[in-house]
Amino acid sequence: MAQVKVPDRPLSPHLQIYRLSWTMVMSIVHRITGAANYFGAALVAIWLVAMASGPRAYDAVQWFFGSWLGLLILFGYSWSLIHHMLGGVRHLVWDFGHGMEPGKRFAMARYTLFASVPLTILIWIVGFTMI
Amino acid sequence: MADNQADTRVDRRTPLARVKGLGAAGHGAEHWWIHRMTAVSNIPLIVAFIIIVAGLAFRPWEQAVAIVSRPLVALLLILAVISVTNHMRLGMQIIIEDYVHDKGWKIAAVIANNFYAVAIAVACLWAILKISFGRF
Amino acid sequence: MAQFTLPKNSKMSEGRTWPRPANGNRTQAFRIYRWNPDDGATPRIDTYHVDRDDCGPMVLDALIWIKNKVDPTLTFRRSCREGICGSCSMNIMGENTLACTLGMDDCRAETIKIYPLPHMPVIKDLVPDLTGFFAAHSAIEPWLQTETPAPETEWQQTPQERSKLDGLYECILCACCTTSCPSYWWNGDRFLGPAALLQAYRWLIDSRDEATGERLDALHDPFRLYRCHTIMNCANACPKGLNPAKAIAEIKKMMIARQV
Repeated sequence: MAQVKVPDRPLSPHLQIYRLSWTMVMSIVHRITGAANYFGAALVAIWLVAMASGPRAYDAVQWFFGSWLGLLILFGYSWSLIHHMLGGVRHLVWDFGHGMEPGKRFAMARYTLFASVPLTILIWIVGFTMI
Repeated sequence: MADNQADTRVDRRTPLARVKGLGAAGHGAEHWWIHRMTAVSNIPLIVAFIIIVAGLAFRPWEQAVAIVSRPLVALLLILAVISVTNHMRLGMQIIIEDYVHDKGWKIAAVIANNFYAVAIAVACLWAILKISFGRF
Repeated sequence: MAQFTLPKNSKMSEGRTWPRPANGNRTQAFRIYRWNPDDGATPRIDTYHVDRDDCGPMVLDALIWIKNKVDPTLTFRRSCREGICGSCSMNIMGENTLACTLGMDDCRAETIKIYPLPHMPVIKDLVPDLTGFFAAHSAIEPWLQTETPAPETEWQQTPQERSKLDGLYECILCACCTTSCPSYWWNGDRFLGPAALLQAYRWLIDSRDEATGERLDALHDPFRLYRCHTIMNCANACPKGLNPAKAIAEIKKMMIARQV
């Protein structure tokens, strides 16, 4: 066969064209909240180390977390923790081989989001009433 | 050439040789299991963590230290640190394996992930022990 | 880094709009991915209009109508036209399925968009290079393996043992599931993918097979099996209604079962 200049084969489009579904979106949100929790653990470490360092360090950290920005970060972090936990429960159920039928798997994916937001708000309300 | 042959410009290996690669590593189930086990232990421990944090909110330092020094609180926090840092280390390892393919960056990322998880764990554990046993 | 954007040679541009049929009472518009290895251009999207009154109801009927009546260079795989050979798998309206079993009416769209199976090297138009996909299937050794001498007649199996193969043997290797899996997109060179893993499970739970341990050994790898993160795109995509995600979950359970 004569030597033909063969062009590099293109890659067919993927994320660009694939139809999003509840299961697909909740899967990537599970990963994003997991990564957010990973980096948010540093906030917990800073808070504990500040507490162990003495009242001045602790007060400084508490001041930041009591500010509007700090409260926003904490609210986001707590939602991320709860959403990731509910998604984790969904994955644990699937790991046992249950709930994988078409109706059930979409319902479980939806309820992960529909439950995480009110649950987060509820926890914050309860937390504030405990002060 | 519009045919169904494998792309021989990259290398001359057969498709089967390519997919078999370096052979099965012989591990994977252990990580998967510990990831699931820590997922289960995380559920009650994170709930406890959230309750403890909520209970400490807006309290002065002396009260915070007194609460964290209590045996049950300290033990729950220590267990939470061990469970969460293990879980997050394994989770981030999976993310790195998925997306980072360059050999150099992959090694660097895996090492950084382990160092970060250990640093977080040690910092938190030191803090809890200092609060419980330290003299202020 | 996994490539989330398309490489330069894969970026698509607007292509030709082909003429409408002469007596266009009922027409259906199509936008179809085109790439020709012989003209040196990047991929493009061509627009066609199909006369619904002159054409069968399925998307494959429309593709064949276009090839016969409008543009003979449109290239795609097809054979049985009844959903059993697996040739005409492609991405239609964003989901991987068989063109011959999807009705044009079921698309419920003014314009039906057709792309090749995602994240695959394209040979031409809607024809992807599936050699890696078939190599993964080959790698799981899809044949009966025994050490015991073969019986005089057949290997025996109770109806209950045989029923375990239901939902597994029906796979037509169309590649819809594997090419719908984001993990396979990012790690298709090392992750076996839903189809190969479903077939691996088919042999793992076949009661006549004697190589279960060796099969599990071959899957015990952070990439071959454990790139599956239960994203579930595979089960959503399968045009035969199979559930590769469930089969993979069962394999993971077997992995733990032999350790505890």
